[in-house]
Amino acid sequence: MRPGAASIPTIALLLAVATASLPGSASAQQAPQARDIPQSLTVEHEETLARLTKLAERPPPVGPQARKVLELYKEHTAREQAFILPPLTLLLPMSEGKVTPDMRWAIPMTDRVRAEQEKIYVEHATMIDELNLLLEAARTANDADAIDFAQTAAADSLNDMELLVPMVLVIGDYLHAKLPPAQ
Amino acid sequence: MSHHRFRALVRLLAVTAGLAAPALGGGAWAADPADGQSVYKTQCSICHAVAPGRNSIGPTLFGVVGRKTGSVPGFHYSPANLGANITWEPATLDKYIESPRAVVPGTIMTYSGVKDATKRADLIAYLETLK
Repeated sequence: MRPGAASIPTIALLLAVATASLPGSASAQQAPQARDIPQSLTVEHEETLARLTKLAERPPPVGPQARKVLELYKEHTAREQAFILPPLTLLLPMSEGKVTPDMRWAIPMTDRVRAEQEKIYVEHATMIDELNLLLEAARTANDADAIDFAQTAAADSLNDMELLVPMVLVIGDYLHAKLPPAQ
Repeated sequence: MSHHRFRALVRLLAVTAGLAAPALGGGAWAADPADGQSVYKTQCSICHAVAPGRNSIGPTLFGVVGRKTGSVPGFHYSPANLGANITWEPATLDKYIESPRAVVPGTIMTYSGVKDATKRADLIAYLETLK
Protein backbone atom coordinates (compact mmCIF):
# COMPACT_ATOMS: atom_id res chain seq x y z
CA MET A 1 0.00 0.00 0.00
CA ARG A 2 1.51 3.24 -1.10
CA PRO A 3 -0.89 6.15 -1.44
CA GLY A 4 0.19 8.23 -4.34
CA ALA A 5 1.86 5.24 -5.95
CA ALA A 6 3.80 6.05 -9.06
CA SER A 7 2.72 4.74 -12.40
CA ILE A 8 4.82 2.08 -14.07
CA PRO A 9 6.42 4.55 -16.49
CA THR A 10 7.31 6.68 -13.50
CA ILE A 11 8.87 3.72 -11.75
CA ALA A 12 10.85 2.84 -14.86
CA LEU A 13 11.95 6.43 -15.28
CA LEU A 14 13.11 6.70 -11.71
CA LEU A 15 14.95 3.43 -12.05
CA ALA A 16 16.60 4.73 -15.19
CA VAL A 17 17.70 7.89 -13.43
CA ALA A 18 18.93 5.95 -10.45
CA THR A 19 20.94 3.45 -12.46
CA ALA A 20 22.30 6.08 -14.82
CA SER A 21 24.22 7.57 -11.95
CA LEU A 22 25.76 4.27 -11.02
CA PRO A 23 29.10 3.07 -12.38
CA GLY A 24 27.83 0.60 -14.90
CA SER A 25 24.48 -1.01 -15.43
CA ALA A 26 25.66 -4.20 -13.77
CA SER A 27 24.83 -2.56 -10.47
CA ALA A 28 21.16 -2.94 -11.23
CA GLN A 29 21.61 -6.67 -11.70
CA GLN A 30 23.38 -7.45 -8.46
CA ALA A 31 21.47 -9.40 -5.88
CA PRO A 32 19.76 -6.82 -3.73
CA GLN A 33 20.10 -6.51 -0.05
CA ALA A 34 17.00 -7.29 1.98
CA ARG A 35 15.60 -3.81 1.52
CA ASP A 36 16.54 -3.14 -2.07
CA ILE A 37 13.39 -2.12 -3.85
CA PRO A 38 12.85 0.55 -6.47
CA GLN A 39 13.74 3.87 -4.89
CA SER A 40 10.46 5.46 -5.93
CA LEU A 41 8.63 2.87 -3.86
CA THR A 42 10.92 3.43 -0.90
CA VAL A 43 10.07 7.11 -0.98
CA GLU A 44 6.38 6.38 -1.18
CA HIS A 45 6.54 3.90 1.69
CA GLU A 46 8.25 6.48 3.83
CA GLU A 47 5.71 9.15 2.93
CA THR A 48 2.82 6.84 3.67
CA LEU A 49 4.33 5.77 6.96
CA ALA A 50 4.83 9.39 8.00
CA ARG A 51 1.31 10.36 7.02
CA LEU A 52 -0.24 7.38 8.74
CA THR A 53 1.82 7.92 11.87
CA LYS A 54 0.44 11.45 12.07
CA LEU A 55 -3.12 10.19 11.69
CA ALA A 56 -2.47 7.63 14.42
CA GLU A 57 -1.81 10.49 16.81
CA ARG A 58 -5.26 11.97 16.21
CA PRO A 59 -7.91 11.70 18.93
CA PRO A 60 -10.76 9.19 18.54
CA PRO A 61 -12.28 8.06 16.37
CA VAL A 62 -9.57 8.59 13.74
CA GLY A 63 -6.48 7.96 15.86
CA PRO A 64 -7.30 4.47 17.18
CA GLN A 65 -8.43 3.25 13.76
CA ALA A 66 -5.37 4.78 12.09
CA ARG A 67 -3.21 2.85 14.55
CA LYS A 68 -4.83 -0.39 13.40
CA VAL A 69 -4.16 0.52 9.79
CA LEU A 70 -0.60 1.44 10.72
CA GLU A 71 0.06 -1.98 12.20
CA LEU A 72 -1.33 -3.69 9.12
CA TYR A 73 0.66 -1.37 6.91
CA LYS A 74 3.91 -2.23 8.66
CA GLU A 75 3.26 -5.95 8.25
CA HIS A 76 2.27 -5.44 4.64
CA THR A 77 5.30 -3.40 3.68
CA ALA A 78 7.61 -5.83 5.46
CA ARG A 79 6.32 -8.61 3.23
CA GLU A 80 6.47 -6.38 0.17
CA GLN A 81 10.05 -5.47 0.87
CA ALA A 82 10.99 -9.06 1.63
CA PHE A 83 9.94 -10.64 -1.65
CA ILE A 84 7.33 -8.77 -3.67
CA LEU A 85 9.05 -5.56 -4.67
CA PRO A 86 12.77 -6.45 -5.04
CA PRO A 87 12.27 -8.23 -8.40
CA LEU A 88 10.97 -4.95 -9.78
CA THR A 89 14.54 -3.63 -9.64
CA LEU A 90 15.18 -5.88 -12.64
CA LEU A 91 12.68 -4.12 -14.84
CA LEU A 92 15.10 -1.63 -16.29
CA PRO A 93 17.81 -4.04 -17.41
CA MET A 94 15.17 -6.45 -18.64
CA SER A 95 13.57 -3.67 -20.66
CA GLU A 96 16.97 -3.26 -22.32
CA GLY A 97 17.00 -6.92 -23.24
CA LYS A 98 19.41 -7.94 -20.52
CA VAL A 99 18.76 -11.18 -18.73
CA THR A 100 21.78 -12.59 -17.00
CA PRO A 101 22.38 -15.50 -14.63
CA ASP A 102 23.05 -13.14 -11.76
CA MET A 103 19.37 -12.27 -11.84
CA ARG A 104 18.50 -15.72 -10.51
CA TRP A 105 18.18 -14.31 -7.02
CA ALA A 106 14.76 -12.99 -8.00
CA ILE A 107 13.29 -16.34 -9.03
CA PRO A 108 12.55 -17.63 -5.53
CA MET A 109 10.87 -14.31 -4.80
CA THR A 110 8.68 -14.33 -7.89
CA ASP A 111 7.86 -18.00 -7.27
CA ARG A 112 6.81 -17.09 -3.76
CA VAL A 113 4.60 -14.29 -5.05
CA ARG A 114 2.89 -16.76 -7.38
CA ALA A 115 2.45 -19.24 -4.55
CA GLU A 116 1.08 -16.62 -2.20
CA GLN A 117 -1.23 -14.77 -4.56
CA GLU A 118 -4.30 -15.66 -2.54
CA LYS A 119 -2.61 -14.61 0.69
CA ILE A 120 -1.62 -11.31 -0.89
CA TYR A 121 -5.21 -10.80 -2.01
CA VAL A 122 -6.51 -11.50 1.49
CA GLU A 123 -3.99 -9.03 2.92
CA HIS A 124 -5.29 -6.34 0.63
CA ALA A 125 -8.89 -7.22 1.37
CA THR A 126 -8.17 -6.98 5.09
CA MET A 127 -6.52 -3.64 4.52
CA ILE A 128 -9.59 -2.39 2.66
CA ASP A 129 -11.78 -3.52 5.57
CA GLU A 130 -9.69 -1.42 7.93
CA LEU A 131 -9.56 1.50 5.50
CA ASN A 132 -13.36 1.39 5.30
CA LEU A 133 -13.43 1.80 9.07
CA LEU A 134 -10.89 4.60 8.88
CA LEU A 135 -12.97 6.33 6.23
CA GLU A 136 -16.05 6.02 8.40
CA ALA A 137 -14.17 7.44 11.38
CA ALA A 138 -12.75 10.23 9.26
CA ARG A 139 -16.17 11.20 7.97
CA THR A 140 -17.52 11.19 11.51
CA ALA A 141 -14.70 13.48 12.58
CA ASN A 142 -14.92 15.54 9.37
CA ASP A 143 -11.22 14.88 8.95
CA ALA A 144 -10.44 15.68 5.33
CA ASP A 145 -6.85 14.48 5.50
CA ALA A 146 -7.87 11.10 6.88
CA ILE A 147 -10.62 10.80 4.27
CA ASP A 148 -8.11 11.51 1.54
CA PHE A 149 -5.63 9.03 2.99
CA ALA A 150 -8.18 6.22 3.13
CA GLN A 151 -9.37 6.79 -0.40
CA THR A 152 -5.88 7.13 -1.81
CA ALA A 153 -4.72 4.01 0.00
CA ALA A 154 -7.64 2.05 -1.43
CA ALA A 155 -6.64 3.18 -4.90
CA ASP A 156 -3.14 2.04 -4.22
CA SER A 157 -4.36 -1.39 -3.25
CA LEU A 158 -5.78 -1.69 -6.75
CA ASN A 159 -2.44 -0.53 -8.11
CA ASP A 160 -0.75 -3.40 -6.33
CA MET A 161 -3.21 -6.00 -7.53
CA GLU A 162 -3.58 -4.67 -11.04
CA LEU A 163 0.03 -3.75 -11.78
CA LEU A 164 2.75 -4.58 -9.30
CA VAL A 165 1.91 -8.17 -8.49
CA PRO A 166 1.27 -9.12 -12.14
CA MET A 167 4.50 -7.40 -13.10
CA VAL A 168 6.45 -9.47 -10.60
CA LEU A 169 4.82 -12.62 -11.97
CA VAL A 170 5.75 -11.66 -15.53
CA ILE A 171 9.34 -11.01 -14.43
CA GLY A 172 9.41 -14.46 -12.86
CA ASP A 173 8.05 -16.15 -15.96
CA TYR A 174 10.55 -14.27 -18.11
CA LEU A 175 13.46 -15.30 -15.93
CA HIS A 176 12.32 -18.91 -15.93
CA ALA A 177 12.07 -18.84 -19.69
CA LYS A 178 15.39 -17.13 -20.34
CA LEU A 179 17.56 -18.69 -17.70
CA PRO A 180 18.08 -22.47 -17.79
CA PRO A 181 17.87 -24.17 -14.43
CA ALA A 182 21.09 -23.89 -12.46
CA GLN A 183 23.29 -27.00 -12.68
CA MET B 1 -38.83 0.75 19.71
CA SER B 2 -36.15 1.86 17.28
CA HIS B 3 -36.43 1.26 13.56
CA HIS B 4 -33.57 -1.23 13.60
CA ARG B 5 -34.93 -3.18 16.54
CA PHE B 6 -38.35 -3.26 14.98
CA ARG B 7 -36.96 -4.65 11.76
CA ALA B 8 -34.92 -7.22 13.63
CA LEU B 9 -38.03 -8.33 15.48
CA VAL B 10 -40.02 -8.59 12.27
CA ARG B 11 -37.30 -10.71 10.73
CA LEU B 12 -37.11 -12.95 13.76
CA LEU B 13 -40.85 -13.50 13.65
CA ALA B 14 -40.70 -14.22 9.93
CA VAL B 15 -37.96 -16.79 10.34
CA THR B 16 -39.73 -18.38 13.27
CA ALA B 17 -42.87 -18.67 11.20
CA GLY B 18 -40.92 -20.12 8.28
CA LEU B 19 -41.76 -17.20 6.11
CA ALA B 20 -38.25 -16.08 5.23
CA ALA B 21 -37.86 -15.58 1.53
CA PRO B 22 -35.57 -17.91 -0.35
CA ALA B 23 -32.39 -16.74 -2.03
CA LEU B 24 -31.09 -13.20 -1.58
CA GLY B 25 -30.06 -14.22 1.90
CA GLY B 26 -33.65 -14.52 3.06
CA GLY B 27 -35.94 -11.74 4.11
CA ALA B 28 -35.54 -9.72 0.93
CA TRP B 29 -39.11 -8.62 1.29
CA ALA B 30 -38.10 -6.64 4.35
CA ALA B 31 -34.92 -5.16 2.91
CA ASP B 32 -34.52 -1.48 3.56
CA PRO B 33 -32.87 0.71 0.92
CA ALA B 34 -32.18 3.43 3.46
CA ASP B 35 -30.22 1.02 5.62
CA GLY B 36 -28.62 -0.26 2.45
CA GLN B 37 -27.38 3.20 1.65
CA SER B 38 -25.62 3.22 5.00
CA VAL B 39 -24.03 -0.12 4.17
CA TYR B 40 -22.93 1.31 0.85
CA LYS B 41 -21.35 4.31 2.54
CA THR B 42 -19.39 2.24 5.03
CA GLN B 43 -18.50 -0.70 2.83
CA CYS B 44 -18.50 0.32 -0.83
CA SER B 45 -18.08 4.05 -1.24
CA ILE B 46 -14.33 3.94 -0.75
CA CYS B 47 -14.10 2.36 -4.20
CA HIS B 48 -17.46 2.80 -5.93
CA ALA B 49 -19.45 5.89 -6.83
CA VAL B 50 -23.16 5.72 -7.55
CA ALA B 51 -23.47 8.52 -10.08
CA PRO B 52 -24.02 7.51 -13.69
CA GLY B 53 -20.77 7.22 -15.61
CA ARG B 54 -18.58 7.96 -12.62
CA ASN B 55 -16.03 5.20 -12.45
CA SER B 56 -13.47 5.23 -9.67
CA ILE B 57 -11.37 2.42 -8.20
CA GLY B 58 -14.33 0.28 -9.11
CA PRO B 59 -17.02 0.83 -11.72
CA THR B 60 -20.04 2.96 -10.95
CA LEU B 61 -22.79 1.11 -9.15
CA PHE B 62 -25.45 3.07 -10.98
CA GLY B 63 -27.55 0.54 -12.84
CA VAL B 64 -25.60 -2.40 -11.46
CA VAL B 65 -28.68 -4.53 -10.86
CA GLY B 66 -29.51 -6.23 -14.11
CA ARG B 67 -26.29 -5.50 -15.95
CA LYS B 68 -23.66 -7.97 -17.06
CA THR B 69 -20.19 -8.27 -15.59
CA GLY B 70 -17.54 -6.26 -17.34
CA SER B 71 -19.98 -4.02 -19.18
CA VAL B 72 -19.50 -0.51 -17.82
CA PRO B 73 -18.07 1.74 -20.55
CA GLY B 74 -14.78 3.38 -19.69
CA PHE B 75 -13.84 1.00 -16.90
CA HIS B 76 -10.96 -1.40 -17.38
CA TYR B 77 -11.91 -4.72 -15.84
CA SER B 78 -9.73 -7.58 -14.74
CA PRO B 79 -9.87 -10.60 -17.03
CA ALA B 80 -11.71 -12.45 -14.28
CA ASN B 81 -14.59 -10.00 -14.11
CA LEU B 82 -14.59 -9.45 -17.83
CA GLY B 83 -15.01 -13.13 -18.50
CA ALA B 84 -17.33 -13.98 -15.63
CA ASN B 85 -20.44 -13.79 -17.80
CA ILE B 86 -22.72 -13.09 -14.87
CA THR B 87 -25.76 -10.88 -14.82
CA TRP B 88 -25.96 -8.99 -11.57
CA GLU B 89 -29.37 -10.00 -10.36
CA PRO B 90 -30.14 -9.81 -6.64
CA ALA B 91 -29.30 -13.46 -6.07
CA THR B 92 -25.93 -13.30 -7.85
CA LEU B 93 -25.11 -9.98 -6.21
CA ASP B 94 -25.90 -11.48 -2.84
CA LYS B 95 -23.35 -14.24 -3.32
CA TYR B 96 -20.76 -11.90 -4.79
CA ILE B 97 -21.06 -9.31 -2.07
CA GLU B 98 -20.75 -12.04 0.54
CA SER B 99 -17.51 -13.35 -0.93
CA PRO B 100 -16.31 -11.83 -4.20
CA ARG B 101 -13.63 -14.36 -5.00
CA ALA B 102 -15.91 -17.28 -4.35
CA VAL B 103 -18.09 -16.11 -7.22
CA VAL B 104 -15.44 -14.60 -9.48
CA PRO B 105 -12.12 -16.33 -8.85
CA GLY B 106 -9.27 -14.05 -9.72
CA THR B 107 -11.17 -10.83 -9.27
CA ILE B 108 -8.94 -8.03 -8.08
CA MET B 109 -11.72 -6.39 -6.12
CA THR B 110 -9.91 -6.60 -2.82
CA TYR B 111 -12.82 -6.89 -0.47
CA SER B 112 -13.58 -9.49 2.17
CA GLY B 113 -17.33 -9.26 1.71
CA VAL B 114 -20.41 -8.45 3.76
CA LYS B 115 -21.08 -11.51 5.87
CA ASP B 116 -24.35 -10.29 7.39
CA ALA B 117 -27.26 -11.43 5.19
CA THR B 118 -29.50 -8.62 6.38
CA LYS B 119 -26.97 -5.99 5.46
CA ARG B 120 -26.52 -7.59 2.06
CA ALA B 121 -30.25 -7.58 1.45
CA ASP B 122 -30.44 -3.95 2.48
CA LEU B 123 -27.51 -3.05 0.29
CA ILE B 124 -29.01 -4.81 -2.72
CA ALA B 125 -32.32 -3.07 -2.09
CA TYR B 126 -30.42 0.21 -2.22
CA LEU B 127 -28.55 -0.78 -5.37
CA GLU B 128 -31.88 -1.57 -7.00
CA THR B 129 -32.86 2.06 -6.55
CA LEU B 130 -29.88 3.24 -8.60
CA LYS B 131 -31.62 3.43 -11.96
